[in-house]
Amino acid sequence: MTPVTRETLDVDVLIVGGGPAGLACALRLSQHATQAGVSLAVAVLEKAREAGAHSLSGAVLDPSTLRDLIPDFEAQGAPIATPVTSDRVYFLTERRTIRLPIVPPPLVNHGNSLVSLNQLVKWLAERVEKAGVDLFTGFAGQDVLIEDGRVVGVRTGDRGLDRAGAPKSGFEPGVDVRAKVTVFCDGVRGNLTKQLLARFPLADGREPEQFAVGLKELWEVPAGRLPVGRVVHTLGYPLRHEEFGGGFLYGFPDNHVSLGLVAGLDYQDPLFDPHDAFNRFKRHPLVARLLDGGRLVRYGAKALPEGGWNTIPRVHLDGALIAGDAAGFLNSMRLKGIHLAMRTGMLAADAAFDAVQAGDTSAGRLASYQRAIDAGTVRRELYPVRNVHQAFGFGLIPGAAFAGLALLTGGRWMQDLAGHAGHARMRTLQWYHGLDVSKHRRAGRVEVDRQLTFDRLTNVHYSGTAHREDQPGHLLVDTTVCTTRCGPEFGHPCIRFCPAQVYEIHTEADGTKRLQINAANCVHCKTCDIMDPYQVITWVPPEGGGGPQYNGM
Amino acid sequence: MTLVVVEHSAGVISRASWEAVAAVQSVAPDGEISLLLLGSGIGELAAVAAARGVGPVHVVEDAALGAYTPDAYIFAVGAAVAALRPRLVAMAHSYQARDYAPALAARLGAPLVSDVVGLRLENGELRFRRPMFQGKLAAEVRAVGDAPTFVALQIGAFRADGVKSRTDGGASSPVERLTVDFTGFTNRQTAEPPFREARQAVDLSQAERIVAVGRGIKAQEHIAVAERLAVALGAELAASRPICDNGWLPMDRQVGSSGQTVAPKLYVAVGISGAIQHLVGMKGARTIVAINKDPDAPIFEVADYGVVGDLFEVLPAFTSELSKRSR
Repeated sequence: MTPVTRETLDVDVLIVGGGPAGLACALRLSQHATQAGVSLAVAVLEKAREAGAHSLSGAVLDPSTLRDLIPDFEAQGAPIATPVTSDRVYFLTERRTIRLPIVPPPLVNHGNSLVSLNQLVKWLAERVEKAGVDLFTGFAGQDVLIEDGRVVGVRTGDRGLDRAGAPKSGFEPGVDVRAKVTVFCDGVRGNLTKQLLARFPLADGREPEQFAVGLKELWEVPAGRLPVGRVVHTLGYPLRHEEFGGGFLYGFPDNHVSLGLVAGLDYQDPLFDPHDAFNRFKRHPLVARLLDGGRLVRYGAKALPEGGWNTIPRVHLDGALIAGDAAGFLNSMRLKGIHLAMRTGMLAADAAFDAVQAGDTSAGRLASYQRAIDAGTVRRELYPVRNVHQAFGFGLIPGAAFAGLALLTGGRWMQDLAGHAGHARMRTLQWYHGLDVSKHRRAGRVEVDRQLTFDRLTNVHYSGTAHREDQPGHLLVDTTVCTTRCGPEFGHPCIRFCPAQVYEIHTEADGTKRLQINAANCVHCKTCDIMDPYQVITWVPPEGGGGPQYNGM
Repeated sequence: MTLVVVEHSAGVISRASWEAVAAVQSVAPDGEISLLLLGSGIGELAAVAAARGVGPVHVVEDAALGAYTPDAYIFAVGAAVAALRPRLVAMAHSYQARDYAPALAARLGAPLVSDVVGLRLENGELRFRRPMFQGKLAAEVRAVGDAPTFVALQIGAFRADGVKSRTDGGASSPVERLTVDFTGFTNRQTAEPPFREARQAVDLSQAERIVAVGRGIKAQEHIAVAERLAVALGAELAASRPICDNGWLPMDRQVGSSGQTVAPKLYVAVGISGAIQHLVGMKGARTIVAINKDPDAPIFEVADYGVVGDLFEVLPAFTSELSKRSR
């Protein structure tokens, strides 16, 4: 192929990812520029066709950061669905529901609000565009541009390539967006942050990252099923004590219920299936009664960073900062990350603005970002609970006990617990199930009735995901181990952990097995990139604009 | 002086070329403009161009320019530029221009600004506006380097009726023949006569009857079984996504959310389980017949007639019964 000529766009600060972190960063930058009376070129790249389309969360919002960013956010019409009116925590067994007598303090949501993250991000995006920031939706960051060990910008993805990667008539090469400072807000397991972590020693001395996957549905239910503003969290069934996670049920206005299941991506049973577990959760009497006669509105799935303080990499380097979920700023004890994403986005903006004004955007100057994190609310919130997720690696009860202890002591005098990368904890079929796998309960799927429970493909339809079919695959899989090793050892876990049926194993007429990748089904959750035991799956962004449509989620 | 390369086909000067003239006039209403017309047997066309009175029309005629080829255009426009020494060479951002202008500009070491939607002068220097990011952003650029500057103007960005005549009395501008020596020129391309793409994409939405195959067909060679039924029914052959995904049938035969939406009188779903992505593309069919091994397949929920069975037994039986009747 002949080398393509690329356009370049020069800006002062480039933000990759138009989620809560990226948009908070953009807005903060424009506030600084206005205050100082200087002009500052800020651009935001967002792979979704419109702002918020790929944003997925429960979501309970701690409004503290939003208040700092936009003090009169209520008056400006921020889409806050309802204040939280009551909290419940239940422990579930297969048939029973046991209410915890007290709500553990980190799960008390007094003063917090229920929001649709999709709507909140859309609203933030309007503010950001009004402030004069260029928000480029439908453009994915494909590669980090590095020159002399310094991040100088990002190359966006090519458009108009066919399945084989050859340019079609509408071909448009990606653009090199060059910036004095690039702020990576590309979300959980962001493909560009992943490149940074591979290229620079940012994670040296840190614990391995930890993740979970959350599956969520939005339902419209008959009136009176769940009080508006009620927040329910569940522990136990359908997860076993060795599996980290839990369920949630949030009461939204207009008889809408947001429900979901979060499962740690560090499970040991290779036959564990998060989507199947979600269906089991929905068939539990507590949930089934709530949804009976209702209607599924939307479905979605997304990974979340659960590792906590000790797994956060160095977040400043020459010419670049990392903020939000991309770096792992999420409080897994409080089950909240939006306020931390926005907070780190704002702190990144402070540091980037200072560096651009000073004409020095080296890692040394940008280290003010790290200092601001260490001195402020982010560390104050995350440090005491830094070991909690790792403690749950010992099981639910030791984990809960440890979490309680961490709360009492504020995390002082506690030894740091080592974690393992989640995918490395997966056991082989034989190790876990013995020789006769078929005997195990998990080998059978829960029945799908298409009223309450759905198969993956139907769920995918409700995610609204769409990709142009004729484009290169965006899931780069080294398939050599699929049938030779992964199949016999782990039973192809990709077909289970993917919540969108991207992966299928087909048996050919001659009996050989082949991995079929339905890339167009992808909901951009990143689970496969995280969890595949051989780490042979790399998620790269598909052509900009493709992906789920999480309206109202 | 500005040279505008005029494009024509079938004896008509393209409107986009007049738009290019208007664009140039918009920044320098009194500037000198010449037109360049290339072709073979274009004397009449030159007179038509001259009648607009925008400036002298330079004509290069040669058999090599009869049908467009990039080699001949690069050679001829290059020779004209060398002879006339314009500061600016303007043209419509047409397929032809996209083809030859970059090569010519590169050969001359001259700047090329393409897809321009606006021009303005700043301190006597031209600034060009052009879209970026698929039109989400407009960039203003300036050409760097020696004259001439090549500029290709986006079609439709300027109004052709804005072209102003420079000869007040309505007289024609002069036509000047420009001799270009084609000896030693070898053309690496030969142009075939123009044709229209013959193969129409299949428009399943107009089909009265459709036989659609799904994953149950198992192998590409088995599609013939369904094809025979389609022939017997006088139906179009369609497929669900996995079939087209495997390349067993072309993409334009795909029915469903990522394919076509159809509403035939008869829809025979063969080995299709009925994923919702497929159902949204065909649930408008008047009569749906489903053939599937799995009695729990969701396709039976929308089917008017359902056959639970092996399609390799059911289909041939259907086909032979149909052919008997038509006999």
